[in-house]
Amino acid sequence: MRYPGIVSKRAAAVALSAGLVTLAAACGSSGGSSTAASSSTSSGGGSSSSSSITVAVAYPAPPAALLDQFTKQTGIKVNWVNIGWDNLQTKIAAAMSANTYFADVADVDWSKVGEYQKTGWFEPLNQDFSVASLEPDMPQLKTFISNGQLVGMPFDSSFLVTTVNKKDFAKAGITTMPTTLTAFTADLKKVGKANGMSSPLDIQFATAEGLSTCWYQMTAAFGGSVLTTQDTPAFTSPSSPGYKAMTWMVDAYKSGLVPAGNINTTDYQGFTTEMAKNRVAAAMCDYSGTVASIYNVPSSSSVVNDVEYIPTPGATGAGGNVANPDGIGIPKTAKNVAGAVKFIQWFTQTEEQADWAGLNGASDVVSTFPLPARLTSFNLMIKAGDIEQAAPLDAILKAHAQPPFPNGAPPWYTQFSAAVQTNIHEAAAGQETIPQAVSAIAAQVSQLSAAG
Amino acid sequence: MLPYILLSPLVVFIGALSFVPTVDTAVEAFFRISTLDPPTRFTGLGNFRALFASSAIITSWVNTAAYVVIGVVLSVVLGTVIALALKQRFRFRGVILALVILPWALPSVVEAVVWSWIYDPTFGVMNSALHSAHLIGGYHVWLGLDRWLTIGLIEIVQVWQITPLSALVILAALQSIPVELYEAARVDGAGVVQAFWRISLPMIRPALAVCTVEALVLSLNIFDQVYILNGIAPLGSSVMLQTYVTTFEDLNFGGGYALSLLMTVATAVLSMAALALLYRRPEAA
Repeated sequence: MRYPGIVSKRAAAVALSAGLVTLAAACGSSGGSSTAASSSTSSGGGSSSSSSITVAVAYPAPPAALLDQFTKQTGIKVNWVNIGWDNLQTKIAAAMSANTYFADVADVDWSKVGEYQKTGWFEPLNQDFSVASLEPDMPQLKTFISNGQLVGMPFDSSFLVTTVNKKDFAKAGITTMPTTLTAFTADLKKVGKANGMSSPLDIQFATAEGLSTCWYQMTAAFGGSVLTTQDTPAFTSPSSPGYKAMTWMVDAYKSGLVPAGNINTTDYQGFTTEMAKNRVAAAMCDYSGTVASIYNVPSSSSVVNDVEYIPTPGATGAGGNVANPDGIGIPKTAKNVAGAVKFIQWFTQTEEQADWAGLNGASDVVSTFPLPARLTSFNLMIKAGDIEQAAPLDAILKAHAQPPFPNGAPPWYTQFSAAVQTNIHEAAAGQETIPQAVSAIAAQVSQLSAAG
Repeated sequence: MLPYILLSPLVVFIGALSFVPTVDTAVEAFFRISTLDPPTRFTGLGNFRALFASSAIITSWVNTAAYVVIGVVLSVVLGTVIALALKQRFRFRGVILALVILPWALPSVVEAVVWSWIYDPTFGVMNSALHSAHLIGGYHVWLGLDRWLTIGLIEIVQVWQITPLSALVILAALQSIPVELYEAARVDGAGVVQAFWRISLPMIRPALAVCTVEALVLSLNIFDQVYILNGIAPLGSSVMLQTYVTTFEDLNFGGGYALSLLMTVATAVLSMAALALLYRRPEAA
């Protein structure tokens, strides 16, 4: 069948145009990304070239009214994207490797600082934020500096804590909280019996970041750190805190102190479905702030006013608490760097920080926000009596909070953490022994250190 | 000229989104590309040697083989059984047909999340049902403790998703078989089983080949279900999951490209082998 010539020509023209448009779109997208990449090299101090920014973090958005206030002050509209922590890290890595736009402001976790500095994936913030003047008010600012570059700004002062359900403990006749891990283990068995809980302790064993962090926390409880100041393994000797911590964790799982189902439970799932529902009586690697943001929320918790922070039981007395603050920074492919700087300044200033944590009532709270990054905000809240259990948190923060690694997070932290979580998970699942898990992690550290 | 012009958008589309990335991946698989260890440099077979020296990667290949065997066998057998049942005329056949298609229409991530609750050791329907039926004494942890059980249960989720399409393809093939063939066989004294083996099976062979290849490709590339149900734990890890871990957790892009290339080759070779083995036109059967 022949088509009339005019139709053929039109069809051909349309088809050709479609092909060219597709080709142009393909070329345009790569061009777009390079434009975005080049714009990121401009200084962040200039005026906003666009009236909106995208903020991608592992946090729920602040109340819309507060974001509207920011828009009123600056003329910049905020598009807030809340992505789960583990997924967010992958998205950042994928976008930055491809040199494509992802967001104007994105999560900079404490564990990623070395990596981001080495890869240059985030803009240094030294020009826009004075480290010297901020440091006295932000004790965890140092965690976000690598090779002299301020890679991100801390926006909370999260650290790992131990929480207990005092009502469950009281039912077992325990009113003075244990200070050593031996006493804690013995008490948990009593608590389990008294409350009909076969497994009263929450520790997450899913292959996720929470398991790695929990090991660092337990190592701190045993009085040490998993890496030396030269970033070499400090956990290979059976007498080392890291080795003891891993043994204690795996034993706790295998002996039934921890629910069997926790082999696939992440930290947040553990807090919300086990601790908040009173299926366990204690959580070993809990986050500072969960009492207010999870356990005392009547709509989703059955342990309102029953849970309290205690100094983490250690080998011979109260042990260390690992600090894991969250930060935000500006990806190198950000389109609106000036707007991003303004947002970070606003988001981390004293009044707002206190506001997110509940200084001016529940309506301004950012859900799951632990504690403010600034001491001035913290003090405002203590004065107003707005921090639930401020005294124990204050004591833990000042006396026991410590960075997970003495030399800061190494650039190869992601690979290290993957080795940690998979091997501890395998040891708990009975696929590996503790010495095998320790050897595998140590071998990975040696390989990563050698590669630089 | 017109056919070529009409095809040009498709050629540009496939070329830009499929051919170019494939060639790029194939080339870069021979380079060391690590954002933490720049610059990019030629490494020959270095990435491949490193992959085969990794026990996690070897484990993932073995696991993937298990996913493929379970996935192909179950989806084709179940698809055939469902198609044979749906070929019959009965009340509410249309409704049941629609329900059968439902799992295929859902995104695999959604399905994996649904099944994670079914398998949940504390609240899961599976424990509850088996316990109520007195088939288990107490609640079990189904995923993450036993390698083969974990692989089997994860693959069931994928089988649940891909079987509907197999059933539809096989049903279409069954319905295209002339009724006269069955009538002639009946006259010759053939029973139901004989009719199935001698008529239905040879006639639906092309459909079975298509379903086998579909199940093969999807099982070889299983990712969502593994990631959601078992995380990145090596116990049930698949090659695609290891590709993700190598690329985005280890930031070893060269290794990720090499693993992707191997998987592409494996998928192509196995798919062609399956087609060569199974695909026969009905006349030749």
